Amino acid sequence: MSITRRTALALALATATTLAGAPARAADDIVIAGSMPLTGVFAFAGIGVHAGIQDYVKIVNDAGGIAGRKVVYVAEDTAYKVDQSVAVFNKLTSQNKVNLYYGDSTGFAKTINPELNRLGTMMMAGASFATELNDPKAYPLQFMAGPDYTEMVGILLQYIAKTKPGAKIAFVHSDTEFGRDPIGPSEAHAKKLGLDVVVKIVTPPTAVDVSTEILKLRRADPDFTIFHGYVLAPLPEFMNQAKQLGLKTKFMGTFWSMDNSLWGKVGEAADGFMGVMPYRYYYDAEGKSPMLEKIRAMRPEYQSTPYLQGFLTTMLYLESAKRVLEGGKELNGPNLKAALNSIKDFDTGGIIGTPITITGNSIPVGRVYRYDAVKKAMLPNSDWIQLGK
Amino acid sequence: MIDFDWLFFLEVSLAGLGSGALLALTGLSFVLIYKATRAVNLAIGEMLMIGAYAFFSFSAGLGLPWWAAVPAALACGGLLGAVIERAVIRPMLGESAISVLMVTIGLGSVLIGAVELLWGADPAQLPDFMGTSPVFLGPAYVSRKIVIGFAVAATVITLFILAFRFWRGGVALRATATDQGAAYSCGIDVPVVFSMAWVFAGVAAAGAGILVGAVGGISPAMGIFGLSALVVVIVGGLDSVVGALIGGVLVGLIEAWTGTYLGGEFKTLITFGLLIAVLMVRPYGLFGTVEIERL
Repeated sequence: MSITRRTALALALATATTLAGAPARAADDIVIAGSMPLTGVFAFAGIGVHAGIQDYVKIVNDAGGIAGRKVVYVAEDTAYKVDQSVAVFNKLTSQNKVNLYYGDSTGFAKTINPELNRLGTMMMAGASFATELNDPKAYPLQFMAGPDYTEMVGILLQYIAKTKPGAKIAFVHSDTEFGRDPIGPSEAHAKKLGLDVVVKIVTPPTAVDVSTEILKLRRADPDFTIFHGYVLAPLPEFMNQAKQLGLKTKFMGTFWSMDNSLWGKVGEAADGFMGVMPYRYYYDAEGKSPMLEKIRAMRPEYQSTPYLQGFLTTMLYLESAKRVLEGGKELNGPNLKAALNSIKDFDTGGIIGTPITITGNSIPVGRVYRYDAVKKAMLPNSDWIQLGK
Repeated sequence: MIDFDWLFFLEVSLAGLGSGALLALTGLSFVLIYKATRAVNLAIGEMLMIGAYAFFSFSAGLGLPWWAAVPAALACGGLLGAVIERAVIRPMLGESAISVLMVTIGLGSVLIGAVELLWGADPAQLPDFMGTSPVFLGPAYVSRKIVIGFAVAATVITLFILAFRFWRGGVALRATATDQGAAYSCGIDVPVVFSMAWVFAGVAAAGAGILVGAVGGISPAMGIFGLSALVVVIVGGLDSVVGALIGGVLVGLIEAWTGTYLGGEFKTLITFGLLIAVLMVRPYGLFGTVEIERL
């Protein structure tokens, strides 16, 4: 192939740009990379997670890094599309010696799993709490920084069984992989706890109006309605109409619909909404929370629940990396995961209000919070609930 | 015979009529543009979203009362329609229908990006301007927002039907739709008609956006509602205003009945099944003009 002057110039220019664009990086840096949904339907979460990872990395680097090694974080936007997430993964892992990866969706976690296992160089976590991923055999190099979706609903069911034995339950979920995730096993769990699942309502992903669903809910007249598979809409409209109709049911949700600022914008109708949270809120002042204090010092304004998810995920990444390095082992996927699974009664600095132990791919701990419209805050409504205990 | 709950059926049907009206109003925007310019505008969901966000800014941001915020948001919708037509669509005149279609897909992405930049990615709620007391038609409960949505959609669509029949501008639009060359030779300013169609479509989309946002909240992902409306106009006929109304009501009712008696997971299946069935029997939609070129 002959190279013309123009091609040579273009090549030189491209090389120069790449070199100029890539920050200087030491060979022993610990690299966290991420496929981040900074735009698209999940941008609300991606932006928070991104900031949380950045902040924890900064805290660690300011304190001298991990065993003297600097932590570097690189990420690119995926718009919450699996193909783009994979492209970002390929790009970032070919440009960097990545040790830890953050994935943006269940679809991506499943798609990339064989490649992750083949490479064996990194451990991965992400925004997905899919029940399917909570299987150390099938997903040996992945984990999630909280309970999986079935465990989240399990925590709610346990709370209900304790506060109102024999209660009538309704499940409302979106007709998506995310929405369907915990429903089957949760029905069985509810039965085991002596609760009565009176209706299951499915909403299509494009649903706006929920009038017909409310009519169904009214006929079933449950004591508790558990939503899953949504961020915010259509929950407020459900609650508004239920209030209009005088329904007595209490509404509950799972992690991604628990952000305080989102409910703050809903106003009066948000009052009484409950849900499961694996972490404390940004403003929680109870107990000792040195990490929350650090976060509040770094960022005086409220930080979202996805922020805390990103922050804690990074804490677990780097705690694992620290353990691997302290053990004098190579920083690779299996060693990182083994180090993660050695975490026992670990203090998260108050992010989770109880010491955590990670034996598999999840942390089956959470607490029920309840929104108070007068105080404009999610407030704790139960103690920390640990499944299996 | 099993005991059939007629009251429940009535309530479900009323809810279906209401959500069908929202679909019809969005469908109207599709139809206006297609009828005048033969362009299929896949960015209609995003235009609707801009209308909702404009209302959000005027009401929640600037604190305007709803009677001032609604016209202001509608004006923004109209302006957006005009700008899109002048800056993006008119340069595409004479290009193939597929090219224009692709441009509108890109336009949708641009509008989503603009919303994320200007308003952020978090979902939000529109201020409640419709009141919260429930409406009962006899013993049957209907959501207040849905009643208002239905009334607005029915009024707007009736106005458009009358305008197409009796108003000079409406007649000019119909003439342009039928034969551009003949319309030109009769002295109709075709580019102005094109602009007008986009402006009215922008206003209708903004109106639909305010109603959809009031019911379902707003977020940069709300434009996906436009996809449901696309089904409505294909069923009703891409160039028929009456078709949008009947298609909307039909799809709304079928979705409500399906969701109630079969389960929500069947809604999309049945809706798109209906779409395929209609396309097989009447490829131009129930009320569309026969010579419509399919994409």
